[in-house]
Amino acid sequence: MVRVTGNFQSESPIHPKALALLESAFEAGWADPKKLGQASAKAALLRNEAIESIASHLKIHPSQIETFGDPALGHHLSLTALMQERSQLVHSAIDRSEIFAIAQSARTTVLPVNHDGNILGTHSPSPHSVLALQIANGETGVIQKCDEIIEDVQPELIALDATVSGFQVELPRRWNTALFSSASWEGPAGVGILAIADRSVWRNPLPHISAARTGLSAYLPLLLASALALEERVSMAREEELRRRQLTTAIRSELSKIADCDIAGNLATSLPHITSASFMYCNGEEIIRSLAMDGFSVDSGSACTSENLEPSHVLAAMQVLTHGNVRITVHSGTTHDEVMGLLRSLSSTVIRMRA
Amino acid sequence: MKEIDARGLLCPLPIINLGKAMSQCESGDELLLHSDDPATQSDLNAWSRMTGNTVNPITATSFLIVKK
Repeated sequence: MVRVTGNFQSESPIHPKALALLESAFEAGWADPKKLGQASAKAALLRNEAIESIASHLKIHPSQIETFGDPALGHHLSLTALMQERSQLVHSAIDRSEIFAIAQSARTTVLPVNHDGNILGTHSPSPHSVLALQIANGETGVIQKCDEIIEDVQPELIALDATVSGFQVELPRRWNTALFSSASWEGPAGVGILAIADRSVWRNPLPHISAARTGLSAYLPLLLASALALEERVSMAREEELRRRQLTTAIRSELSKIADCDIAGNLATSLPHITSASFMYCNGEEIIRSLAMDGFSVDSGSACTSENLEPSHVLAAMQVLTHGNVRITVHSGTTHDEVMGLLRSLSSTVIRMRA
Repeated sequence: MKEIDARGLLCPLPIINLGKAMSQCESGDELLLHSDDPATQSDLNAWSRMTGNTVNPITATSFLIVKK
């Protein structure tokens, strides 16, 4: 009998076609596109083609795009770049820790969320407010009604975080910066993409001398692989969305049969590949270790699995059980057998731990 | 009134100990939980919603629980 195993952690392998491209990309794209010379000219051509392709799939203009090597740096390039001393930062209680870190040095308003993870806007606009708005949450998959939140908050400027939603959710009507991560469409993890709608309100927050907008760039071979991965994912978007939603529906249905299981958010208003579920009276770390023994990898937002022993602020803000939590991510290669194998292992683990 | 001293215990032990104690309580019984684990307060909100038991915070680390 073949043992079924599977990866359900948030990180996914790079798209197979992007992986196949990488070797030739390293051969063709090693030169600095900004320099003179034949190899550099060729690299510049490849770079421009990649950016045009990415821009068209993300429905933004190529001239708005900046690329860089570390998506985590992107939160400064996206949000800090819009802020001034007088700015009031508005962000949600379920935003990324990077946003909370930026908020430590600003006047801040934190928007609460309801039990479904929907951000509750406020009708008290500040004349110099900058709204940091995560389009979809990475822990729960919950997609925000961005246009409504922007209408409620009436911010002066808006920094969108599309690092989880990627191309899957359209940008709202109004925005000033939008941050993407190549990993969200199975491209290489080390590629960040920033769209700047209007340069007049964007100020480079990093030390700089050059007049270039950021002076940063993603490593060209990785950018080429990212562009191809995006192209492939977009071409299969409808089928893949349906497939993932069916698998996640099965996951949620089976989990709801386990007693005292608290599932975060509604699938109808969430990305189709993420499920966060907590099991009362169970230890998150022990669940993860038990699943790993059976060959299944999952994430957890429980305190016992975090470095600082703090529970997930996202689950706490939604008033979802934070202990005994597992986060299941369905990927392009995830099969029905893998999902069923994971659910069997998870169910028996929970029963054993509660005995 | 029954008391559970879960101070110094990390998540999920305070809630597990609470659950065990509640299983021996009758409807309307009160129980005092002491816990300084940072996850306890938010977890008690979810636990209350899921079990129907009432949670009244007395201090940041003490909670009066009433069995439904």
